[in-house]
Amino acid sequence: MEYVIELENVKKKYKLYKNQKERLLDLILPKSYGEEFYALKGVDFKAQAGDTIGFVGINGSGKSTLLNIVAGISPETSGSVIVRGQTALISVATGFKESLTGRENLEMKCLMLGFSKQEIDAMEEEIIEFSELNRFIDQPMKNYSSGMKSRLGFAISVMVDPDILIIDEALSVGDATFTKKCLDKIKEFQQKGKTIIFVSHSNYQIKQFCNKVVWLEYGKVKAYGPTVETMKAYEEFIAEFNKLSKEEKKAYQEKHKFNN
Amino acid sequence: MKSMFKILKEQFQYFYLIRRLSAFEIKSENRNNFLGSSWEVINLVIQVAIYWFVFSNVMERSDVTLANGEKIPYIFWLLAGFILWVFFFKSTLNSSSSIYSRIRILAKMNFPMSIVPSFVIFSQLYIHIVMILIFVIIFHIGGYFANIYYIQLLYFIPATIFLILGLSLITSTLSTIVRDVHMLLNAVLRMFIYLSPVLWDIGKLGAPFGDIVKLNPLFYLLEGYRAAFFGSEWYFITHWEYSIYFWVLSILIFIIGSNLHLKFRRHFVDYL
Repeated sequence: MEYVIELENVKKKYKLYKNQKERLLDLILPKSYGEEFYALKGVDFKAQAGDTIGFVGINGSGKSTLLNIVAGISPETSGSVIVRGQTALISVATGFKESLTGRENLEMKCLMLGFSKQEIDAMEEEIIEFSELNRFIDQPMKNYSSGMKSRLGFAISVMVDPDILIIDEALSVGDATFTKKCLDKIKEFQQKGKTIIFVSHSNYQIKQFCNKVVWLEYGKVKAYGPTVETMKAYEEFIAEFNKLSKEEKKAYQEKHKFNN
Repeated sequence: MKSMFKILKEQFQYFYLIRRLSAFEIKSENRNNFLGSSWEVINLVIQVAIYWFVFSNVMERSDVTLANGEKIPYIFWLLAGFILWVFFFKSTLNSSSSIYSRIRILAKMNFPMSIVPSFVIFSQLYIHIVMILIFVIIFHIGGYFANIYYIQLLYFIPATIFLILGLSLITSTLSTIVRDVHMLLNAVLRMFIYLSPVLWDIGKLGAPFGDIVKLNPLFYLLEGYRAAFFGSEWYFITHWEYSIYFWVLSILIFIIGSNLHLKFRRHFVDYL
């Protein structure tokens, strides 16, 4: 079976500058200034069509960085990234223009995703219905609550029918009925054999949906495998980690985070 | 050269997107005002009124003589140049900040980043065209009627857009990397109005200063606009050497801009 996502030894380097002066010197001089920080330290990961993969890991483990690389938003520093198919990233309140109405934002987003006017007209009603915004769709988005924004964001992303759906914590907003609706939609995607990447701090949701789990720790894949085993190991680790004292936690983080 | 054609190809390929996004751009900027987009026009009229008051009443500027010997009252001379200056100033400034202020929304795979400055420039173009229509009415009231030389606007408007587009590819890239570039540009442009024949007839200063200021491509465009509105000459033909200079410079700027843009565009999001 063909892989839709293939990542090989992917690294992502960020530069940490103490001040603006260092930043400027680093830009113009060939010598390197500032501290290098690897958010990803060589990640290998493959996904087949139809996989639903959960990303888990404590804060700072590189989940969001990895998502952004798979979604094509930020470039990798080294390594090879192959993504076959259209991706759609859903995260809490992703880039809307606050002064425009929901309907205008809807059109703008779809345009930027590469849809034609006719295609957008055909999808519009369905998206509005899914988002449950009804009459509010013609109000400026600055008056929307965060739940309304992410509902619209979710509605657009699923209706454009991507090959790879990437969900970043987006289901933590919205009430139980909307979450249910989203989860139903995700199931529909799974049945169509699409690939889904799912980041959530809710272990329950991960266990419910994903058939595979990637456990990231400080920029490395600590474990990748079937949900049941990986989640068991992860939960044991979390339980252990929580038992540590504050100082021990800090020491653990320091040890792994800056160690390339 | 290759990168210039790549950027130009993107502009044509995504022209519909440029048009739609520029319409949203105007809408979103003026959504909160009851008068909406008309504020863009009202603002400009007020600005012109101030310049006119200061320069014709307080400082008593005399008439300006055109190439064909005709004398033009200062206020009309000012208007014809000011309209182009405002278009140049606003679109250059807005397009410089266009990428870094939108990167969060636009950082999507396959989105042709090079059309971002273009749609910002286009949103200013609509206002520019409305302003030209209003100014033409003013010129008619002043006794300067529509004439055959108006046709050269169809050459000078695209020439202006090409120059601004080339500049914007440079400035939008640089100010995404170093935000100060945008601030610097703002300061430089405010100075530039005095180095261009907008408020005063700088070209009449005599050699060598009067010739040096002609290196400024805006000089060419401003004189072209005036030649069109006052029907004095076919500026781009009578000054063909100057036309060649303008296009060589503009294409050079465009090539530099395209190379810069293509070199950095994949990494824009990392510079936030």
